[in-house]
Amino acid sequence: MLLSFIAFTNAINAQSASTIGFSFAYGSRVLNIDDSLNLPNDSTFLRITELKFYISNIRFLKNGEVVLEEKNSFHLVDANQIIPNQILVENKQNIAFDEIKFDLGIDSITNVSGAMGGDLDPTKGMYWTWQNGYINFKLEGTSQLCKTRNNEFTFHLGGYQQPYYCLQTLHFKTNNSSTMNFKLDVQKILNQVDLAKTNHVMSPCEEAVILSKIVANAFNLLQN
Amino acid sequence: MKRKLFIFSLLSFVIVSFRSVNEIQFEVPNSFPKPVYNFSKNPLSENKIQLGRALFYDPILSRNNMISCASCHSQFSAFTHVDHALSHGIEDKSGFRNSPALMNMAWQKSFMRDGAINHLDAQSLAPITNPVEMDENIAHVVAKLQISKLYPQLFFKAFGDSTITGEHTLKAISQFMLTLVSANSKYDSVMRKQSVFNEQENKGYILFKKNCSMCHTEPLFTNDEFRNNGLKIDTTLNDYGRYRVTKNKADSLKFKVPTLRNIEFSYPYMHDGRFKKLSQVINHYANGIEKSKTLANELQKPILLTANEKVDIIAFLLTLSDKSFLFNPQYFYPKEIFSEATKN
Ligand code: HEC
Ligand code: HEC
Repeated sequence: MLLSFIAFTNAINAQSASTIGFSFAYGSRVLNIDDSLNLPNDSTFLRITELKFYISNIRFLKNGEVVLEEKNSFHLVDANQIIPNQILVENKQNIAFDEIKFDLGIDSITNVSGAMGGDLDPTKGMYWTWQNGYINFKLEGTSQLCKTRNNEFTFHLGGYQQPYYCLQTLHFKTNNSSTMNFKLDVQKILNQVDLAKTNHVMSPCEEAVILSKIVANAFNLLQN
Repeated sequence: MKRKLFIFSLLSFVIVSFRSVNEIQFEVPNSFPKPVYNFSKNPLSENKIQLGRALFYDPILSRNNMISCASCHSQFSAFTHVDHALSHGIEDKSGFRNSPALMNMAWQKSFMRDGAINHLDAQSLAPITNPVEMDENIAHVVAKLQISKLYPQLFFKAFGDSTITGEHTLKAISQFMLTLVSANSKYDSVMRKQSVFNEQENKGYILFKKNCSMCHTEPLFTNDEFRNNGLKIDTTLNDYGRYRVTKNKADSLKFKVPTLRNIEFSYPYMHDGRFKKLSQVINHYANGIEKSKTLANELQKPILLTANEKVDIIAFLLTLSDKSFLFNPQYFYPKEIFSEATKN
């Protein structure tokens, strides 16, 4: 009786859920936190020391209509994690879809709703305190291009109020697969930033909005 | 199988009734509007309030375990910091603003003199993290609380979980602050027709309604908006108030209109504590308004007051003192909670 129960739940997991995974790259290379990322002909001594962001409001669409939404959908993704960054979304009825949408960051209402738990707990370090609000996306590292202390650059992107509203909505066509793996290519971000000039963004501002859009474009869905 | 189900439903019934017995309804004073704070997301209970009270008075929230919230917000001064124009934090470091009095927090839309904080729950994070205030971080505070003798059991009593989280810590502190309700001054008893103003207070009240209540609106004595009340900028601080948050020039030099309840005890006054006495405040409104682009409309025309009228306004302001608030034992340092911890 017990055995069959376990077998049964396993079957549910395999079929009636979608797994969303995240991996990190720098161009054609795998990105590991704290590793030196130097490319040939590159004297910038680039290193990424922190890469963390919120994925929220995951929903699935069919012919442009939302057919499935994850309840209480807030996930902190951290590139510096040994366990793979995977999100499991239940799909008990095996609803078919052809598109996935999610937000990069935390919506305005959640930002003004007080203390939250789970991945939104302020102990997770993704929260501004002097002017409160969630940090949607964190990217920190070092590069010779930055004439800053220890050559550091720090991008903490967020802002839930206009004109510095930073949340980005991403969507991808998909062929109804139960696993979707997304790759974030940090080279695509840094190629569009002049690190010598822009190396310190840590509050809601125009640069944060521009950078958030660049970041959103650096994700792609791997075809399996 | 049926029996199990029965036991299960019995159990869940017990849990549900345990919750409702412990929940406290927030009492709204008669003349007050509907609170802004959403109590359904953080229902009050006696155990949570007491936990919040302990945290408010406990220097464990600071890096060197020396500074508590009460260091800068003490009850006898309506939870502000008397004698300090600018706040005085860890290792005698000085902040750049005067700490405000704390009361009637359930009716505030935003916090801080510039409204930088959008929710009471998030407020505590600001002083905990500020390098010149408590210089800690919330993750480390939670770790310290978790290994303390006292707190795991207090969190268990309050939230049914002895694993401490940032969310629960902040919600408990909010609960204590939400209980800081002041609505029992002479002014209130006059409004309830249980008492009367003397002649001077009455004249002061009429002058107040004419000149001040557009911003310091009854019954909370604030309209909870941001205004430039004509203070000349202090060039050692260059504090542009609301502009710091919105980066909108139209907000330059605007500060949140503070309540005037218990004003007798919450000196010094204004965002930088520049005035020590109420007479200086009245003289500012009568003779000291600095014209600038963002000066409030209400203060464009001079407020003309005779020497007697100035005293009348002050007499009225003193009717806003609420002794039952300033000396309410429910807000005292929680000796009994802390001595429990040393006993074990
Ligand atoms: C070093 C002194 C200091 C400490 C310690 C301190 N505060 Fe404050 N508090 C201030 C100052 C100064 C302000 C106003 C700052 C501003 O407007 O920028 C303030 C503002 C506030 C406000 C906003 C009030 C309003 O009307 O907008 C609340 C609520 C508050 N503090 C609660 C707390 C709590 C809870 C703690 C402990 C976790 C605490 N404070 C610790 C100095 C302090
Ligand atoms: C245009 C709106 C406005 C009007 C009218 C106004 N005030 Fe104010 N008042 C403010 C603002 C804004 C502040 C806070 C300024 C700051 O923090 O620097 C303030 C601060 C004060 C304070 C200091 C409170 C504290 O806790 O520091 C007192 C006392 C005061 N006002 C009394 C009065 C009196 C009396 C009148 C009428 C003669 C009056 N106000 C009229 C907007 C107004």
